[in-house]
Amino acid sequence: MSLAAGPGRGHIAEGQLPEEMKLVVDKHVAYIQSLDTRRDELEYHLTEHLRIGGIYWGLTALHLLGQPDALPREGLLEYVRSCLHEDGGFGAAPGHDAHILYTGYSVQILTMIDGFEALEEKMPDGKHKVATFVANLQQSDGRFAGDQWGETDTRFLFSAFYTLSLLGYMPHQRPSEPPIIDVPAATAYIKACHNFDGGFGVAPGAESHSGQVFTCVGALSVAGELDSYLGEEGKDRLGAWLSERQLGSGGLNGRPEKLVDVCYSWWVGSSLAMIDRLHWLDKAKLTAFILQCQDPEQGGIADRPEDMVDVFHTVFGIAGLSLLGYPGVGEVDPAYCMPKHITAKIQRP
Amino acid sequence: MGSHGIPRVGATFDKSEQARDKEWKQIAQYQALEKDVVGRVNAKDYSDATFQLTSQLLTQNPEYYTIWNYRRLILQDVFARELAAADHPSEQGAAAADKAGLPPAQHEILLLIKEDLQFLIPLLKQYPKCYWIWNHRSWLLGAATKHLLARGAVELWQGELGLVSKMLGLDSRNFHGWGYRREVVQAIERLSGGGDEGKGSGGLVEPEFAYTTKMIQSNLSNFSAWHYRSQLMPALLSSRNADTAARQAFLDAEFELITKALYTDPYDQSLWFYHQYLMATLNPSNAQAPPILDPCGAAEHLQYLDQEIESVREMLDGAEDCKYIYQALLEYSGRYLELAPEGEGKVTVTELKEWLRELRKIDPLRDGRWRDLEGKMKL
Repeated sequence: MSLAAGPGRGHIAEGQLPEEMKLVVDKHVAYIQSLDTRRDELEYHLTEHLRIGGIYWGLTALHLLGQPDALPREGLLEYVRSCLHEDGGFGAAPGHDAHILYTGYSVQILTMIDGFEALEEKMPDGKHKVATFVANLQQSDGRFAGDQWGETDTRFLFSAFYTLSLLGYMPHQRPSEPPIIDVPAATAYIKACHNFDGGFGVAPGAESHSGQVFTCVGALSVAGELDSYLGEEGKDRLGAWLSERQLGSGGLNGRPEKLVDVCYSWWVGSSLAMIDRLHWLDKAKLTAFILQCQDPEQGGIADRPEDMVDVFHTVFGIAGLSLLGYPGVGEVDPAYCMPKHITAKIQRP
Repeated sequence: MGSHGIPRVGATFDKSEQARDKEWKQIAQYQALEKDVVGRVNAKDYSDATFQLTSQLLTQNPEYYTIWNYRRLILQDVFARELAAADHPSEQGAAAADKAGLPPAQHEILLLIKEDLQFLIPLLKQYPKCYWIWNHRSWLLGAATKHLLARGAVELWQGELGLVSKMLGLDSRNFHGWGYRREVVQAIERLSGGGDEGKGSGGLVEPEFAYTTKMIQSNLSNFSAWHYRSQLMPALLSSRNADTAARQAFLDAEFELITKALYTDPYDQSLWFYHQYLMATLNPSNAQAPPILDPCGAAEHLQYLDQEIESVREMLDGAEDCKYIYQALLEYSGRYLELAPEGEGKVTVTELKEWLRELRKIDPLRDGRWRDLEGKMKL
């Protein structure tokens, strides 16, 4: 996945000691605001297939940084609505085909900007139509496809769960109606992706990977089955695997013998938070690592120091800092990667 | 992800007028190509010309998933037309098809699929972690399976086994590759009529197990290969109709293999995870590690815990700063004491406290976890 990168690079400001680093809130806000203005760069156009994702990542970061209105609401509403297809699915950008991932991001954006009324204006019974698009992607064995072309992945299952949950269409949110998805079949599939080391993979038989751990644990959390399924022993086992992701630099990797990357501050951090074992990491060292990945002059956060920044690593670095309790950063919901005060309104199982 | 791990060099943002101009031209060209493709597809122009344009666009941007969808629409259209025209094949087509032992329509479809598989190869080499490319490959093989006779499809799938082995040779940790390999193996077994209920047991399990041995021998630190090996075990033992003795011999051989590897490099985390896996197969509370032994009860569990605690203890000699050794000793001793609370002198509380103290010294990053462990083990 490529993203419009730079111009900044992760580094410590000149003349500053590592311990003195702070989160450069204003620079990050300005960086996010500037992203849509870079239409004179080829990479901007080459990453159009990710645009709605970029907007969700940027908007979430802005919320956590205390600047939820830094991107104009009307512009966001117009853009999201222009990605909507007749079947209720959203594409990554206007004209791009509908896909469960981009539908998920769109629903998250609409939730954060309180845009469902505007959705209904464009598409009567819109929430129901979007929920139906998602529900129709469930396969007979419980897993979810991304679109009509059939690729399946635990990421899509997680997308389905959190999207329906935000729309209010998870079966537990409508107990008097027939369920539009088969939750037990879906969670059975997640459990089939569970490995002996406590982690989860992309499909049954696949090795544990932090990204998939987040999506599987997140999905179980949204479905209200996390505690009952894992139990203390399962949480210990998973927590052990996750805690081993922290390397000497303080940063986290995605699986054994791989390089550290700031985005794992989120995938690993949120998973640990969801199983009450975030204290199994050295929080101070992780915080310092994330701060070193910032560009303190131009804003934005990179995957590791010296590399170029992008909006994906920016939001996951900031969300990671939120989990770690960094002062001034808004509280994030570890299952949804959205502001906690907004997800607090969701009806849980 | 292109934005992971590659320090992008060369992109300067203080661009000269010339550089900006050049970039604008590239943008204009890209947008023109895009507009052309989208316009044609919207007008349902599924001609070869359109197809070639999608090739151009995808080569420039293989993550433009909508264009892969369009490419598949065109292919589906061609396949449908081939099948519809089946009654009137060209002379050339009929002769080639005859030679291949396939009806003309299927032969044409096979050629088109092979061509598209070829098209993907350089893209796959350049972007080995791009979901969309692997997915299109999967789709092509799926289409082949649907349209061709089993024999024709199996040959293609077997070709894929070679392809994925090459990709894993280039990067043995590429999980897209391992996932694709699993898919390929399952398909070959299913289409060859081997194995039970399409679960893919029997068939290729022996050569696949041998493949993991080869991967491990060429590079011990290959977590993905060790993981795949662990996943193959239940099917392997069942296909060998392994009895109690055979299963025990197998487990003992695996312990020997991993112990030897650990002596080569006790600091390699992947090896310790595999050792943990073997131990987990003895533990009924780990549902994700099905038993290797049969029967596998508390007696067997105790026996191997005993054996491995001794074995791991010896590894300390010369590797006193290796955190994984202490972790293993604490984990296995803890389990041992759960099964045999008297400990039978095997492990003393003094030893456990000492190991934990060393671990906290060596691995302060995870101090929160070690404090919890201390509480849990009542040390």
